[in-house]
Amino acid sequence: MPLVLAPAGQAQMIKKIGGQPEVRRHLEELGFVPGGYVTVISEIGGNLIVNVKESRIAVDKKLAQKVMV
Amino acid sequence: MGIRIALAGNPNCGKTTLFNALTGSNQFVGNWPGVTVEYKEGKYKGEKEVTIVDLPGIYSLSPYTLEEVVSRNYLIDERPDAIINVIDGTNLERNLYLTTQIMEVGIPVVVAINMMDVVEKNGDKINTGKLSEEIGVPVVEISALKNKGLSDIVNKAIDAAKEAKPQAPKHRFNGSVEHAFAHIEELCLHDIADENLQRWYSIKLFERDEKVQEKLGLSQEVISHIEKDIQSCEQELDDDAESIITGERYNYIGTIIGDCVKKAAVGLSSSDKIDRVLTNRWLALPIFALVMWLVYYISVTTVGTWATDWANDGVFGDGWHLFAIGSADYNDAAEEFAANQIIVDGYDVYVEENGTEPTGDFEYPVEDEETLEVTYETASLEDYEAAKAYVESNEEPDPANYGVWVPGVPVLVGNLLESLNVNEIVSGLILDGIVAGVGAVLGFVPQIFVLFIFLAFLESCGYMARVAFIMDRIFRRFGLSGKSFIPMLIGTGCGIPGIMASRTIESDRDRKMTIMTTTFIPCGAKLPFIAMVAGAIFGGASWVAPSAYFLGIFAIIVSGVMLKKTKLFAGDPAPFVMELPAYHWPTLGNVLRSMWERGWSFIKKAGTIILLSTIVVWFTTFFGFTADGFRMLAEDEIDMSILASIGKAFAWIFIPLGFGHWEATVASITGLVAKENIVGTLGIIYSASGDVYGAMNAAFTAASGFAFLAFNLLCAPCFAAMGAIKREMNSAKWFWTAIGYQCGFAWVIGLISYQVGKVFTGEGFTVGTIFGIAAICILIYGIFRKDKYKAN
Repeated sequence: MPLVLAPAGQAQMIKKIGGQPEVRRHLEELGFVPGGYVTVISEIGGNLIVNVKESRIAVDKKLAQKVMV
Repeated sequence: MGIRIALAGNPNCGKTTLFNALTGSNQFVGNWPGVTVEYKEGKYKGEKEVTIVDLPGIYSLSPYTLEEVVSRNYLIDERPDAIINVIDGTNLERNLYLTTQIMEVGIPVVVAINMMDVVEKNGDKINTGKLSEEIGVPVVEISALKNKGLSDIVNKAIDAAKEAKPQAPKHRFNGSVEHAFAHIEELCLHDIADENLQRWYSIKLFERDEKVQEKLGLSQEVISHIEKDIQSCEQELDDDAESIITGERYNYIGTIIGDCVKKAAVGLSSSDKIDRVLTNRWLALPIFALVMWLVYYISVTTVGTWATDWANDGVFGDGWHLFAIGSADYNDAAEEFAANQIIVDGYDVYVEENGTEPTGDFEYPVEDEETLEVTYETASLEDYEAAKAYVESNEEPDPANYGVWVPGVPVLVGNLLESLNVNEIVSGLILDGIVAGVGAVLGFVPQIFVLFIFLAFLESCGYMARVAFIMDRIFRRFGLSGKSFIPMLIGTGCGIPGIMASRTIESDRDRKMTIMTTTFIPCGAKLPFIAMVAGAIFGGASWVAPSAYFLGIFAIIVSGVMLKKTKLFAGDPAPFVMELPAYHWPTLGNVLRSMWERGWSFIKKAGTIILLSTIVVWFTTFFGFTADGFRMLAEDEIDMSILASIGKAFAWIFIPLGFGHWEATVASITGLVAKENIVGTLGIIYSASGDVYGAMNAAFTAASGFAFLAFNLLCAPCFAAMGAIKREMNSAKWFWTAIGYQCGFAWVIGLISYQVGKVFTGEGFTVGTIFGIAAICILIYGIFRKDKYKAN
């Protein structure tokens, strides 16, 4: 399922990252890699704050839909 | 021989804190050539021979952001003697990703694990000896905030630089990837000048890095040859080249880190708990509003206004009471004296006008200092006798008799010039040109400093990053960033700190858009002008002032939507993704340093343009051709000045806006020095009749008056704000684009206000109305047209 739908507070394994190559690359640099884990910390209107590799990253809804967990 | 050490690391890893701790006040801050990325260099406190360069915070050495390009060009072309790679100890895995790349550029590297105090507090353990062994470089634990391990890390870096043994990365990629590297090296890299760079280049060529292909000047033949190697590798590993490299790097880090790091039990960190509240879906906006109100209340309405008034009316005005002792007493006394004086004067005016003394109650005029509005009050003969007795028995109060009176700079300079018997042209130039110009620059500095303390605090404690997250949804629609809210809010007080607050916006496009639109919001200096137009032309109608704010908000939204579809801001908006630093208390030193750096750069860069412009306006205002030749003019001879001639020459521009007379044009020009000058200039020009408001009412209709108001609110801001725009845009082209757009937009809105307004004020439908309606249509088209630069 897309990351937007993931429940808060549970670690989820990243299965796939879609979208434009540059965006995907940037997400990879920030630690979103397939096989890695991501936890949703909080959510406002679809925008998320997540925990990836111990750093807190804010992503908007559009992007959070491209990360499949 | 000097040693150059570069600091490299992720954003928010504490690199800047380390840099400040290492170099103290011995810094040079500027921009990297040709870009708006900040460049910082400083001499190491312990050894002056050592120069430390602070590279921008980056996540990788790929060529996709300005910061990355700047950093890697520096490492590849300038070849510093050593690199200190700063790593956030609470986030080793992600930070080591950059480390694996830095180790490939063939320069000695030492790793500094920062924030060890936080790591220890969390109960985590990092085995640095083991980590150092695994990656093959010295690793030092430091805490930049607590000043721990700093000399150790620099000494290790100096040793590494002296030894000059280039770093060879221990990490090896998958066999078939390494095979491809070997091919690439053989094909085109065996004769490059610096063989330490071979591995770096082969990896980048494998990733199809166009900047490197270009730099090495590879022929199309070689590129297609390499492409074959890459493709066979991609097929074998079933992924694209860049993802293969990224994946392998993370796998490699995963294998090291398991042995080196012991994490305490995982739970919600205190930072996460704060986020639960501050970015909570219900509480986020109310808390944000409260924080903004506090910032606004202190930096704009209370402390900020006090600071600006002190600087403008005190230091660059008549003078001020030391520690404000005696100010209140003096003001009371001065007010009382003035109230009595005005009744006595009113009596004299009555006698002069009527030839006889009043026999009963009489009216006298009272003029408002700021807006020049005249109201009438009635006094009886007893009032007059009492007032006369008061004025005769008391002297006009002298501020010097109350507390310690410090005269203002213009007074001091004026007295000095007078005692030296300087001729009036020189003293005019110095007083009205230079001192007034310098005052215009420095008058805003105290307020800017107050605001910058807040911004620095919000930024370094971590809240600013969350602001972007909270507000982004709303502002994204107008092509702005979530952080644009702050510049605009501050802009209601003064546009200069508002424009400078846009610094906190990372995206270049969002920042430029914010700079271009921030001054549409009426600032404090425009208020007297708005009040004057409302009073003189609209009979004090209460809707005029709110309409000025709505006009500003409207202008920002319309401009944002229109501009983001133009070539200037072409392309999809960057998707919103950013790292949020953990909350922490900033140190006082860092907050003050950030305040000082920004304030000082305003004084330096904006100062010149403001000073020059005010001198030019002074010269054209006070000189002109009169019946007795070219000479300096008195204040009320402004109609003979060069400026008036310029006004007459350009007044035609404003004919379609309904105020094509030189008076309005000249007022608009002097408004560029400071917007409140519009009031003063109109006051001087229309004073001949004795009734400024009446003369203005005769000169403007409701439609042309509103057009005049709209134009002056939206057009280019004052020179000081333009200086700030120039400083922040850091590009002549963008500066003129911004000013040109603002003036053009203001003209169009003025045109619509006048031409369409005429229909509603009963002046009828004319040919001009068609143009007004056409202008509205163009705006609507600009807002709703398809964005041809947008993908899909």
